[in-house]
Amino acid sequence: MAQKKTASEKLTALFNLKIGDIAGALSVPGRKYFGGDSRLMDDDEIADASGDFKNLIIALLSAKDPTDKGSPQFQALAMFFSNLAQRVLMRGGHVEDVVRYAQLLQHTLIEALEQDSGIEFTQSRSTLLYFSGVFNELIMAAFRVYLEEKESALSAQEQALRETATPITEIWDGVLTLPIIGALDSSRTMLVMEALLNRIAKDHARAVVMDLTGVKNIDSQVSHHLIQMVRAIQLMGSEAIITGIRPEIARALISLNIDMRDVITRASLSDGLKEAFRRMGIHVSQKTE
Amino acid sequence: MSLSGVHLTQIGRADFLLEPLRSLNVGDNARLIEGVVERLLRAGAARLYYDLSSQAIIDPVYYAWLNQLAKTVAAINVKMVCVHMQPTAAFALVQFERETPAFETALEISDWQNSAHNK
Repeated sequence: MAQKKTASEKLTALFNLKIGDIAGALSVPGRKYFGGDSRLMDDDEIADASGDFKNLIIALLSAKDPTDKGSPQFQALAMFFSNLAQRVLMRGGHVEDVVRYAQLLQHTLIEALEQDSGIEFTQSRSTLLYFSGVFNELIMAAFRVYLEEKESALSAQEQALRETATPITEIWDGVLTLPIIGALDSSRTMLVMEALLNRIAKDHARAVVMDLTGVKNIDSQVSHHLIQMVRAIQLMGSEAIITGIRPEIARALISLNIDMRDVITRASLSDGLKEAFRRMGIHVSQKTE
Repeated sequence: MSLSGVHLTQIGRADFLLEPLRSLNVGDNARLIEGVVERLLRAGAARLYYDLSSQAIIDPVYYAWLNQLAKTVAAINVKMVCVHMQPTAAFALVQFERETPAFETALEISDWQNSAHNK
């Protein structure tokens, strides 16, 4: 009667066997999910990836403890899969494709090893569980890459939105306008201030008209940021003119004890522009026939 | 009398330009301020332009030096105007500055002269 082998003995036996060329079989899942019409990887890339995967899985099975997820062999395999997932996602692939690829790769690998070793894995729950655990970790590595890519894309979108939400326009030689729409928080104020101060230096702007028509409400922190921005503009040597202060904003500024004595304010953007022109000695008049 | 750490140049009948050098020690400035005031008094100066183009960051120590110099020259009726303040310096300064500085600011000397005329 044949003696039953444990999972680790079976894994060791796998390593002791000369594993034949299973890379060809392993490239089937790659071709199915990344090749063909999806064009995420070409045939050579898929063959290379399958060969690398085969070498890494053999290295894992030959490790002192193949179940140790902290082993360098396991880390190398996880890193390989992360890089593969990143490559696929960056080329426009979906995370579902990577997961399905991993699942099919698992089945293909088990079948290929069964054929090569003659060991019936389907009869060994522990060996199947082992491979299931390994591939679950690989799928999690792919998901981590996916989440990182998503976060990075979201952060880039937020940055782009912030930049377009505060367009700084040179409306006249040396006169910048900055319509502020929505809430001013600390990080947005820093971005706007940095962009504005650089524009003042670059365009040699002598006046900046900040229009608050789009600001619906204001609290002490926002008003503090606003005054900071005005002070920074003045320190650069430019004139800061605030326009479009709604009645509720004006009331809030006063109730928050914001010192507006050094701040030039005008009712509307056009009044602000007139004041900027006046201060710069520019006279704009209607042409009379 | 030579002034250590700054270049002080007369650029008009009553205008002076002060350019700080790398060797300027703002922590030990009593003698320097006296020297600057003496030169301004001798020439009957009305304005002192302080060039900040080489100052990327203004920290509280440098700000205190600017304020002290501006207040001292104001005592002899000289207005101090800081020109060419860098965006990074303005950005850093507003983070800790809580009161109106004793000096005025302008992008360029000519800008300040024009705006003073238009005000």
